[in-house]
Amino acid sequence: MPSLQFSSLAEFLQMGGVYTFHIWAVYLLFAIFIGYNLMQPRMARRHFIREQKRRASRDAELASKSRENINS
Amino acid sequence: MWLWFSKLGSPRWFYELSNKWLPWLYVAMMVLMSVGLLWALLFVPEDYQQGQTIRIMYVHVPVASISLACFPLMAVAGTITLVWKMKLADMVAKSVAPIGAWFTGLALASGAIWGDQIWGTWWAWDARLTSLLIQFFLFIGVIALRSAIESQDAAAKACAILAIVGAINVPIIKYSVEWWNTLHQPASDFSMDPVAPNPPEVWVPLLIMISAVYVFFVIALILRTRNEILQRERRSQWVIDLVSREKSV
Amino acid sequence: MNKPLSDGAGSDISTWQAFCATLKRDLVIAFKRKNDLLNPIMFFLIVVSLFPLGISPDPVELSKVSAGVVWVSALLASMLSLDNLYRADYEDGSLEQLLLSPQPLYFLVLAKNIAHWLISGLPVVVLSPLLAYMLYLPSEAYWTLVLTLMIGTPVLSLFGSIGVALTVGLGSRGLILAVIVLPLSTPVLIIGAKAVTDVMFGLPVGSHFALLGAILALALTMAPLASAAALRISVN
Repeated sequence: MPSLQFSSLAEFLQMGGVYTFHIWAVYLLFAIFIGYNLMQPRMARRHFIREQKRRASRDAELASKSRENINS
Repeated sequence: MWLWFSKLGSPRWFYELSNKWLPWLYVAMMVLMSVGLLWALLFVPEDYQQGQTIRIMYVHVPVASISLACFPLMAVAGTITLVWKMKLADMVAKSVAPIGAWFTGLALASGAIWGDQIWGTWWAWDARLTSLLIQFFLFIGVIALRSAIESQDAAAKACAILAIVGAINVPIIKYSVEWWNTLHQPASDFSMDPVAPNPPEVWVPLLIMISAVYVFFVIALILRTRNEILQRERRSQWVIDLVSREKSV
Repeated sequence: MNKPLSDGAGSDISTWQAFCATLKRDLVIAFKRKNDLLNPIMFFLIVVSLFPLGISPDPVELSKVSAGVVWVSALLASMLSLDNLYRADYEDGSLEQLLLSPQPLYFLVLAKNIAHWLISGLPVVVLSPLLAYMLYLPSEAYWTLVLTLMIGTPVLSLFGSIGVALTVGLGSRGLILAVIVLPLSTPVLIIGAKAVTDVMFGLPVGSHFALLGAILALALTMAPLASAAALRISVN
């Protein structure tokens, strides 16, 4: 059974002291990598939907305007 | 069989099916990732040689090994595009390229950070790092070619050819680079072989992390492919309906 | 090629004749435009002579890097001249004629690639001993350098042809050709330069030549196919 390797939070954050920066840098990069690749498609999708909605409403507006022109 | 095949090729079908898959994939990723990360960070014993930096392995190895799968996947998708002209395959191929570049980039960065501890230098012309670097250049080439060609159809076919040529080349590059360096200095000093004679408490969490990152890869790929589907099918009725059902943001 | 086509899809010209005609045509064009012929060699000369200026005039240091310098310069010279391969033909429409011809495109592309190698690769190979001398390459490595370049530069032309075929229709190509082609050429560079370095250390180089030969065989059979497919995409 694996056992906990650190006795306190401070010890955990230090990661043995010598290579603290290396270890946490890798995990930080990993977090950025995961976060970006999950958020980027989400943002792109939101952008797409906003764009399409604007286009649709503009088209509807143009259509109603041209109808008015014909009626008048 | 052919019915199934043509159905699979339909972007709309894929979009709706992936709606059902995504929640399960998210759950699987969350579970695997939290177990893997907690185990890797808290429970894995110190390595007698590398000390605590053994924990870098649990990021580097999964990312690097999956980055190797991206080029073959892109080549397979490219072949399907060329032979069966399946639209979905090209959407997948287009989505794999940036993800592959990200995976390779992170594998390089984490390898360099790890290398600073193992070799005492940020960059060594180690065989594996070098072939990853060249693979990174290949991904950049595919992305550049895709963005340079305006016609979507021509871009799809051109990138398919480049992906196939690249996939044939990747093993050649890998072997020539390995052969180039291993004669220079003994490989044992530089060996990053993760599954060396290691006890299970070292490689079980590694397996968990590899599967977690694999699920993450699939999710990222599906998300990008779905956007590509929406973008390309934006004039079809089902996308128009989908957009109008979506609440404003 | 002016012969009228006989009725139907067949023609009087055999594949071999078409191959020779394409080869001859490209060579004649190159010899008419002297620049195409001279530029790769001049570029090669200039790049190689930049290295001593950048590194040091010291014979010991230069002889260490000489093999790599000559190889990298040959690679760049081949890159520089790649654009001639299909560009002019694309602009004046003769590339379309080539695609429409009843002969298998594989052989026509191969002929054009061989012509490109004869124009840009072979002069570099011939000139390499002189530059190797200027860079103090040990004399026992000369033949290895020439032979590896002899096997390696055709591979560069064949791989490069794929890149040009993919990008020939683009308005602004910029550096994209280099970004595509250079990573593909790394195995040849690695093996070629290492063979020369190994000879300098008195190591056996048989396996290097075997590997280079295998890559050349693979490139000869596969690369023109990829180029042909890429041309069909780019031209339409």
